[in-house]
Amino acid sequence: MTAPTRPALLSRIRFRDAGTLLGLVLIAVIFSVLTPVFLTTPNLMNILQQSAINACIALGMTLVIISGGIDLSVGPVAALSAVLGAAMMVAGLPVPLAVLAALAVGLGCGLFNGVLITWGGLQPFIVTLGGLSLFRAFALIYTGGTPIFGIPEGFRAFTNGTVAGVPNPVLIVVVLALAAWVVLNRTPLGEYMMAVGGNEEAARISGVPVRLTKLAAYMISGLMASVAAMILIGRLGAAEPTLGTLWELDAIAAAAIGGASLMGGRGSIMGTLIGCVILGALRNGLTLMNVQAFYQLLATGIIIIVAMLIDRATSGKQGG
Amino acid sequence: MTPRLVLAEIEKSFGPLRVLHGVTLTVAAGEVHGLLGENGAGKSTLLNILSGVFRADAGRVEIDGRACTITSPRDATVAGIAMIHQELQQVPELTVAQNIFLGASIRHKGGLFIDRSAQETEARRLLAPLDPAIDVTAPIKSLRVAQRQIVEIAKALRARAKIIAMDEPTSSLTPKEFDRLVEVIRGLQAQGVSVIYVSHKMDEVYRVCQSATILRDGRLVGRVDLPQTPVGTVIERMVGRELAHGVHHGFARDRVVLETRGLTRGRAVQDASLTLREGEVLCIAGLVGSGRTELLRLIAGVDAADAGAVLVDGTEVAGGDPRRRIRAGLGLLPEERKRDGIIRHRPVTTNIALPAMRRFSRFGLIRRAALRARAEELMRDVQLRPLDVSRPIGSFSGGNQQKAIIGRWLAADTRIFLFDEPTRGIDVGAKAEIYALIERLAEQGRSILVVSSELPEVIRLADRVLVMRQGRIAAELAAGEITEENIARHAIPAA
Repeated sequence: MTAPTRPALLSRIRFRDAGTLLGLVLIAVIFSVLTPVFLTTPNLMNILQQSAINACIALGMTLVIISGGIDLSVGPVAALSAVLGAAMMVAGLPVPLAVLAALAVGLGCGLFNGVLITWGGLQPFIVTLGGLSLFRAFALIYTGGTPIFGIPEGFRAFTNGTVAGVPNPVLIVVVLALAAWVVLNRTPLGEYMMAVGGNEEAARISGVPVRLTKLAAYMISGLMASVAAMILIGRLGAAEPTLGTLWELDAIAAAAIGGASLMGGRGSIMGTLIGCVILGALRNGLTLMNVQAFYQLLATGIIIIVAMLIDRATSGKQGG
Repeated sequence: MTPRLVLAEIEKSFGPLRVLHGVTLTVAAGEVHGLLGENGAGKSTLLNILSGVFRADAGRVEIDGRACTITSPRDATVAGIAMIHQELQQVPELTVAQNIFLGASIRHKGGLFIDRSAQETEARRLLAPLDPAIDVTAPIKSLRVAQRQIVEIAKALRARAKIIAMDEPTSSLTPKEFDRLVEVIRGLQAQGVSVIYVSHKMDEVYRVCQSATILRDGRLVGRVDLPQTPVGTVIERMVGRELAHGVHHGFARDRVVLETRGLTRGRAVQDASLTLREGEVLCIAGLVGSGRTELLRLIAGVDAADAGAVLVDGTEVAGGDPRRRIRAGLGLLPEERKRDGIIRHRPVTTNIALPAMRRFSRFGLIRRAALRARAEELMRDVQLRPLDVSRPIGSFSGGNQQKAIIGRWLAADTRIFLFDEPTRGIDVGAKAEIYALIERLAEQGRSILVVSSELPEVIRLADRVLVMRQGRIAAELAAGEITEENIARHAIPAA
């Protein structure tokens, strides 16, 4: 019997994911040599825990990037759903309802971005840049700039809890990542996202519902931002209107390290997750080594650029 | 006499794939030399090596008897080589003069600021013998393709090119514009400039070139002197087999499936009314810019009409959205496949499935196995080569991409196929296959609208022809009246 032919594209994406994983292994090896604490179970859990929030954001970002857009407003969306969700919890609304309402806030922000981009015909970069200011302003105006304290203990216990030693936020991310993977690789919506990001005009002529596809991507991104917000306020016990500053950049970095093309049409859920862990491991390792925060920033920048250079060198020029 | 250009024993591989096997090409000064071969024969690779985009693995390049090393586009420019790509590489927003001096601007004293007026004067001087009607201060995007090409030639002359390579220069020119291009090429020849001319159209090659090099599968088949070698021999050597000459078959029935009433969009399309019958192949001929593509896009719902209606089976299809038209049974196969047709990184399977994604899904999930099986069945039927539906569609040749797009609409049970230049950029061998496929669609009772600039293609395919002129349907030619003369007579505006 002949070996089944592996789908070429699938194997190429897997090849790219393997590269990202190799990068992670390399970083892990370096740190485990430099500091003995790095490769211990508690520390590894710690890294995953710390990467969970960025992973949430980055999953949504990956879908937006694949569909050919960008979402710069994720941090402020998270802040707005955090303060509104927290206010409702503090006011005594049952926690599940407050959480649902906070998620709806995220969806609403995504709807706002998406409608302006699709029906309004505006550029994603500009719309979400506007959203970045707008949603932050809402959060600041609503709270008067002061944090909201008094997140119910039950909710805090849930986000700080573990199952079989694995922190709940990590489990939430695993479930969300699975869902995002299924959406991207197994549903028409995922194919539509890749088609719209790969060639919008060809997608439109082929009958792809281009506007709804983009709208869905921004709404998912908004939703993911509010999930991240819920995890964060649960862990901190407070909702700051200034939370989520520069989250968009971490998320874009993770997606890019994981192989998403900012030109649209290409990206991988697995890659993005590994990208998040790479960024998390890097920060964790450098912190363990007592390296100044300034150098952590430096290292992050280097990692992003090196990843892109390797990408460019290995994908190579195609003949034609 | 020393040849102007010698490419000797050029070898090139991409990874394990060897695309050029010791190819040699010689061009004399002032000679127009054809480079012929089917798609995938290695023509583009050879030109890309000449223009410094790719580096050859082995071989020599000599210009005027001197060996030269070309490792970058810059080297090629310095060596006097200019390339005019099929898809012109210009900046649409910049003016003609700015494009001509892109990367080699004339500066004011001090070298900091660009001397616009000096550039414009110089651009005017370069364009005078080519086409004095071109306004050097107009943005490139306001020019017609033919004029933009002339601008590229002026740019090549600005760089003092001794060798100009033209890749499919006439793919969107009208016959008149082609005549003009021939004059320009003769002018270049008179100045001693050598031209390498790549084209699929044999009549053009015979008119323009004195000699030609034929490639097949990356190997040199031979060099021929052109007026002496019969066209049949050249084609045979290109494809390595004899081509069956096509005869027209008609399958039209009586029932009208598509009707348009007074379709209008700006000045591009005015009051276009037509009917299309079951099993009929209706060709729309006319000059480039006469509104043919625009009419097809209106019918497909890709652009919105200002007025008029589209009826399928006698019922008006509401809304100008492609999805509704697709549901009504229409499907557009665009001219620019790379730009409008394919999602190039995605496999053939998903490119086929896009309009019919629902059909291939259950409970919101795509049934990959069913999709794959259907795609394989369809692609085996249209003879996709290689028959690997999981390969990205962008890795296939133009002809095979077109087969996949035909498969896309077959999978969606489309009954009315709207072909825009169905064989644009497709090599001679694959053209015959596409014609046969179009005929099979008609035989199956599907209806076909074909916009085509190639008159032999129209004559080969059409049951009936509409000729468009300046946005209007100017004439209808029935079966007996379809000749090149009749089409040309109606297509060209009265002076």
